[in-house]
Amino acid sequence: MKRSAALCLTLMCVALSSDPASAYLKLGTQVDRGTVTLRWEEFPVRYFITNAAGGGVSATQLRDAVVSAFSRWDAVETAETTSEFVGFTGARPNDDDGLTVIGFENRPDQDRTLGATSFLIDTLTGEIVEAEIYLNSAFQWSVAANGQAERFDVESIALHEIGHLLGLGHSALGETELRNGGRRVIAAESVMFPVAFSAGSTAGRTLKTDDIAGISDTYPNPTYRRERGSVSGSVTKSGRGVLGAHVVAFNPRTGRLVGGFSLNADGRFVIGGLEPGPHVLRVEPLDDGDVESFFDLTLNIDANFRAKFHDRLVVVPRGGGASDIEIRVEPK
Amino acid sequence: MITEMTRVMRILATVAIVACVPAAADAQVWLGKTKPRPGSVEISGGGTWTGGQSLPKSAATLTANPSGGLSSFEQFTSEPSMDPAFGVQGALAVYVTRAIAIEGGVRFSRPQLKVGLANDVEGAPDITASTTMSSYLFTGSLVYNVGAQGRTVPFIAAGAGHLRDVHTGNELVETGTEYHGKAGVKMWFGRTRQVGLRVEGGVSVRDGGFSYEDDRRFVPTAAASLVYLY
Ligand SMILES: [Zn+2]
Repeated sequence: MKRSAALCLTLMCVALSSDPASAYLKLGTQVDRGTVTLRWEEFPVRYFITNAAGGGVSATQLRDAVVSAFSRWDAVETAETTSEFVGFTGARPNDDDGLTVIGFENRPDQDRTLGATSFLIDTLTGEIVEAEIYLNSAFQWSVAANGQAERFDVESIALHEIGHLLGLGHSALGETELRNGGRRVIAAESVMFPVAFSAGSTAGRTLKTDDIAGISDTYPNPTYRRERGSVSGSVTKSGRGVLGAHVVAFNPRTGRLVGGFSLNADGRFVIGGLEPGPHVLRVEPLDDGDVESFFDLTLNIDANFRAKFHDRLVVVPRGGGASDIEIRVEPK
Repeated sequence: MITEMTRVMRILATVAIVACVPAAADAQVWLGKTKPRPGSVEISGGGTWTGGQSLPKSAATLTANPSGGLSSFEQFTSEPSMDPAFGVQGALAVYVTRAIAIEGGVRFSRPQLKVGLANDVEGAPDITASTTMSSYLFTGSLVYNVGAQGRTVPFIAAGAGHLRDVHTGNELVETGTEYHGKAGVKMWFGRTRQVGLRVEGGVSVRDGGFSYEDDRRFVPTAAASLVYLY
């Protein structure tokens, strides 16, 4: 079995975002036979907490916040993940020791990174065999129920990083603005958006529809397979596929947003985890953000097109998929 | 002569009386004396109109960053509606008394669902996205005909139904329960009065089927049908 540490994902605190959109993205890795989704095959995910305080938060407080964050993912009704806190450890989050460890690391050099997740994966199957999460103790942290001014909320950031740990990439459902040389998030509708809410906020403790769709699509349970549906199709421009377009599915009955990206040269996209019924599809480019928060920079992401709505309502079937939808976009 | 004449007149009178019997008997059917009667059957078919649904404009919202001072952030606005729909219906009623009938029927229409999309933060052009579904309504009603023997017969009806909304491609079916109340009039034509026109209006109360909202909804309905009674 060939194994290697393959991925390191970071959550930037006040900078580097993407264009607004809504989408979950599953992490994948390239293997001989194509791309495989990263996922845990054995549950519960057993994790340790580094026995060290950081940023004004004790190891015990960190443990409580992480247990709570894991429980939010485990509670998703259409997904089957479970987790187990094993105990405290002297190991650090970045040690290659066969343990899944979550803890504080002092990384003043990473002055925009609140936290990061890395994996040890089986590169033949995509199975995650170990993962590490560090929260950067160069920042000030809080576990207060309603947040604390000037301190980042441990549970919110842990919830995001655990999403990565479980195999989710970044969502692009959010709006940012340029400020002080970086980007500040104006609004977001996914915990997996790559830019955190400001210090003092606990708004990131609640999983959104986009997150729930993503985790359920990665670890579907029978309810998900029976009660949710998908849309798939392609985004094209002048008869050719568009790579990296955000496609957003909006449910006019509930107001919920879930999305995906067109992920190959044909512009193919699939959005799962949708409630049955009519949906609006909206497509927009990833044109003024940090593309590497979402994709490998070697990919030729096409952001040269105008945002548009699909002119047909797409009806999502229960337990199936609406397919062959073509959304034609125009160059800017 | 007198005797002869008297006999002739008697015969004519008798003939006249006999000749009148069928005519009088025929008229008695439509004076309500024989039809409709228990066991009479009324078949109708025609066109329907079903009211639509229109929701106020709302928005696709994102959770605002608390530090920004916004309570929510609107990505675009959405205005869902379902057009009123014309369709067809058929019904069969069996009289249990001369005034009361039990009726079963089916309605079919193809309403168009629309969502008006506007004010996009990224400047996506405003459009109305749409699709069409097939709506079936299977009903059972109790019908009370007021003065059933007249040429113009008002009626009222109430009942329940099963709603079956089938979206394009038949891959999603949304079912529900329907209750209705309606009133109308039947106008019988011709000497036999077996054929008539039936017009009606009413309210359909619906739980389930397709709707933009979860709540029970009230839908106005109207219909005009040709009726045949036998
Ligand atoms: Zn992240």
